[in-house]
Amino acid sequence: MKSFSLLTRGLTPLLGLLLFFVCWFAASRLYNPVILPSPVDVVQSALNVTADGQLWEHGRQSIIRGLTGFSLAVIVGVPLGLLIGLNPIAASLLRPMVVALQVIPLISWLLLAMIWIGFSKVPVFVVLVTTIPLIIINTIQGVRSIDKQLLQMACVFHIAKPRIFREIYLPQVLPYLFAGISTALGTTWKALAMSEFLSVHQGIGARMAVARINLETAELFAWTLILIVLGLLTDRLLPCLVTRKMSHWM
Amino acid sequence: MICNLIKFEHVNKTLGQTRVLNNFNMTADVGKILCIIGPSGCGKTTILQLLAGLEQADSGKITGTEAMRASYVFQEPRLLHWKTVAQNIDFVLNDVVALEQRQELVSEYLNLMGLHDYRNSYPKSLSGGMKQRLALCRAFAYPHDLLLLDEPFKSLDTPLRLGLVRQLSRMWQSAPRTIVLVTHNIMDALLLGHRILVLSARPTVILKEVLMELPLAQRNVAQEPLPSNHAQMLALLEAENTRAFPSLDNSGRFL
Repeated sequence: MKSFSLLTRGLTPLLGLLLFFVCWFAASRLYNPVILPSPVDVVQSALNVTADGQLWEHGRQSIIRGLTGFSLAVIVGVPLGLLIGLNPIAASLLRPMVVALQVIPLISWLLLAMIWIGFSKVPVFVVLVTTIPLIIINTIQGVRSIDKQLLQMACVFHIAKPRIFREIYLPQVLPYLFAGISTALGTTWKALAMSEFLSVHQGIGARMAVARINLETAELFAWTLILIVLGLLTDRLLPCLVTRKMSHWM
Repeated sequence: MICNLIKFEHVNKTLGQTRVLNNFNMTADVGKILCIIGPSGCGKTTILQLLAGLEQADSGKITGTEAMRASYVFQEPRLLHWKTVAQNIDFVLNDVVALEQRQELVSEYLNLMGLHDYRNSYPKSLSGGMKQRLALCRAFAYPHDLLLLDEPFKSLDTPLRLGLVRQLSRMWQSAPRTIVLVTHNIMDALLLGHRILVLSARPTVILKEVLMELPLAQRNVAQEPLPSNHAQMLALLEAENTRAFPSLDNSGRFL
């Protein structure tokens, strides 16, 4: 029974994936490849962009831009989140701005960034402004969830403030922060592709724009596939890095 | 000037909308064990928090604790779940005890509480009683002049509770320090207290104050039947408590 459930658990997702590809393949027979290319065409196209060096050239650009914008969001967002979470004055001053940042549409940021900072830096800027609210809000939630009784305990035993921050605040904020980072990483690749599509000539998004103009739908699918792999890789990599270290904290 | 008394003089304290202490007066002898018993919500924990400096009195004077370093066992264990058992004790010792003595002190108190085998475990894997023992370990290990205990034995079974009561008594005998114990258990108060205060429900007043020449545990008769004078004392305290509380269960706990 146990081995059956293990087998089921392992095989079911594969069967689901296989069913998806069969349906896709069947549907692609009914339509022109410009509308819906077959999975075989997409894989072929992905192999082509890998073989001719496009994947390395454009993928590298996108990864650098994406991780730069994301890292800046973490570097700026975490201290801001801590400040807002810990200081009521900072909270009433900055919280409305964070909410505004969160609701401003991506296209508004794109157009404004093109005017303000020029086309080349638009992807990094857009990734920064779309991911920073996620980091800030999760950090604030982490600070708000701090167990006040532990702070009282630390106060009785005269624990120095830097140690309270390091040994009581941080361990309780980190799980929330990593949840924010995970969500922000997912958003990073979406915002990056969109901004590269509209603003630059290098990068995955830019190649998608070229493929669209040339009606190379299979290549468009291939780049989308590469973005999905990139997103999955970063999404799986983060928990692997932190879960073992933090399992007893949560 | 060395003060031999901790005094609450006309202390008022309001928490939220509730006046917890109203013109409250109390005395505790420095270097002795004071036990406070009373119904829930009568202000026992507030008294400890005022002594620890976690709360400030709205008015009135609290004297005698100025030069004292307090250690505290809260009602809840208040452990850091991301630190191991040993690290939880080391956390409070870090700034006040030299590095070479810390490990020794941690091991000593873990042995004392029977937690040595769990020194590298995380609190999540401990039972409720073990967590409370760890909290006791932490408070005992911290260098202190004033030990504040807020129902420290409440989540422990009777044999363990009596064992810890005797342990606490032995610790006091080897190094007499001021201890203020808040409890619902009259036996704990009788076993440990040099002075026992029975508080009323709000407005909090001292219903009865009993001075014991020598607490039961220090006579090493904790396992034996109560001597007649202590049996009388227990009856007296129970009678006082009956005025404040509906009833007591067989183990002397308030229902």
